[in-house]
Amino acid sequence: MAQKVYVQALAEALAEEMERDEKVFVVGEGVRSGTYGITSGLYKRFGTDRVLDTPISETGIAGAGIGAALCGYRPVVDFMQADFMFVAGDEIFLKAPQWRFLHGGKVDMPVTFLGAVGAGRMLANEHSKTPIAPLLHFPGIKVVFPSTPYDAKGLFKTAIRDNNPVFFFFHKVLLMLPGEVPDGEYTIPLGVADVKREGTDVTVVASGMMVHYALKVAAELEGQISVEVIDPRSFEPLDLDTILKSVEKTGRLVIADEDTERCGFAAELGFQVMEKAFDLLDAPIKRVCSPNYPIPGGYMEAVYLPNPAKISAAIKEVVGG
Amino acid sequence: MALTKENLLTLYTNLVRTRAFDRAFVRRLGEGKLLGFFHPADGGEAPGVGACSFLRNDDYVWPHIRGHGLPHMISKGVNPKYYMAEHCGRDTGLCRGMSTFHGVAPEYGIMGFAGTIGSGFPVTVGYGLAAKKNGRGQIVMSCFGDGTSNRGTFHECALMVNNWKLPVVFLCENNGLGMFVPVKDSHPVPDIADLAQGYGMPGVVVDGQDVIAVAEAVELAVERARQGKGPSMIEAKCERFCAHAVGLPDFSGAEVRTAEEIQYLRENRDPVKICRQKLLDQGVLTEQEANRIQAEADAEVEAAEKFVDESPKPALDPSIFEEMLYAR
Repeated sequence: MAQKVYVQALAEALAEEMERDEKVFVVGEGVRSGTYGITSGLYKRFGTDRVLDTPISETGIAGAGIGAALCGYRPVVDFMQADFMFVAGDEIFLKAPQWRFLHGGKVDMPVTFLGAVGAGRMLANEHSKTPIAPLLHFPGIKVVFPSTPYDAKGLFKTAIRDNNPVFFFFHKVLLMLPGEVPDGEYTIPLGVADVKREGTDVTVVASGMMVHYALKVAAELEGQISVEVIDPRSFEPLDLDTILKSVEKTGRLVIADEDTERCGFAAELGFQVMEKAFDLLDAPIKRVCSPNYPIPGGYMEAVYLPNPAKISAAIKEVVGG
Repeated sequence: MALTKENLLTLYTNLVRTRAFDRAFVRRLGEGKLLGFFHPADGGEAPGVGACSFLRNDDYVWPHIRGHGLPHMISKGVNPKYYMAEHCGRDTGLCRGMSTFHGVAPEYGIMGFAGTIGSGFPVTVGYGLAAKKNGRGQIVMSCFGDGTSNRGTFHECALMVNNWKLPVVFLCENNGLGMFVPVKDSHPVPDIADLAQGYGMPGVVVDGQDVIAVAEAVELAVERARQGKGPSMIEAKCERFCAHAVGLPDFSGAEVRTAEEIQYLRENRDPVKICRQKLLDQGVLTEQEANRIQAEADAEVEAAEKFVDESPKPALDPSIFEEMLYAR
């Protein structure tokens, strides 16, 4: 298997899907040049009719994707930063999720929204969010977030082929992360969690950057606490079964989520586990999230963010060490 | 262009049908049979009818809110009984009773509707992209009001469709009132069509009470779009003979419009009367034919109401929600 970095895997997935299906096109600000490299140079291969640079018009860009998808195309809408989805709130939170439902299933909307998430670059609150919970609060849009190059490629291809709106996150700190990526064609279904490390004492559900922090902690605790790390890879659809199976084994659960703690995915998952598997738990669930403040910039960012030390402390607390 | 006799009769017939259904919707809302709310087209039927009567089946239309799109959908060919069924919550409705007031008819290029004013512009950019990519000469008729033009979405989308020379026709139905707010208080210059110049597209103003004038202006814009020459904007100055929505006071600014004011408009600015008189004067229509068209429209409404009232409600079972939410 070849070694590739995360952003390369994403770029490969997009180019392969554009090659495979002429209905796939990319639209967004500066996509010919590409901000993160995912779309860079694609116009040379596929032409500017399929790699469309736009004015700074998030609302229009999101709508362009929605409208073209309703008419049978498979647009990839590049938001650059996922934070910019809030500019197109009507399109992302109302239109995309509701369209098929309100129109009696008469029309499908195969659009993929693409956006960088995550803090770690000192870019403050409008270029650092990981807005999982806002999307989950509007049922009808799928939410995908890979943590490795392998997952990035396989999930991105599946997202583009999905007949529904999908918001596809990638973490801006993971862009140059290397990993094994096969050269040939492969896809990964949405709604299938991946056990990133097996363990028996505690389950850590983590996504994006948090997966790598959890794995680091798990390695550090080896010999003392056996940590199982599960990456859901998509939050909608969510593979609750894999998580419950793990909790059945470990009896303990820590949820690490870079999104804001309040009303976040961690709160949602914690409640679902309590509803479905209260009897399996040997200790209260702990969550490690971004605290309930806007994301600060500068040096204060490091104080704010969830990190391996906070995850480690949570693990020790639930294990009762 | 010269509209044929047949074209003129089509315009008149669609106006009469729109008026008949619009009135039936208002009546049924009062009777408790129409669900939700209703923003009648009453007095403002001509722009939608003039814009949509001669489009191709595969042209895309974004309907305007007035009459909840009745002028546009009827003229595009959608059978209004299925829209009435939707608005009455029936399983036979366009959206299987899931929406109250959304029209959808993909076979007629109506890909859906929305509740937030001005949210049609972004979506129609996508329709325009699809139409251009398809390469079959399809166009997009984007219908909106004076109030809708206030939204920033108009600016973003006017930029994009003009940058890319998409086959879009902007039809602004300016009835002088954005809900309660007079246009002069929301738009700084007399003509909204003046916006067009800033985006490099033609913009014209027509009498929106004259369905023939609208249809002629639209024809030029549609032809231009079909030929790949890009978007145009038409501002149809029209009227509203009723309050913004059924049940609301008919405010214009802080004052309620008077009965005399509305009476004057009904007598002098009624698009159905104006069209009828023109066609009678030109010898295109006889009194007898006009009466027949009216009688047929009334009969169509009666049959539609029977169809709707006999249609079942959807199975009131939430398990359908799962099926509606996602495509497989």
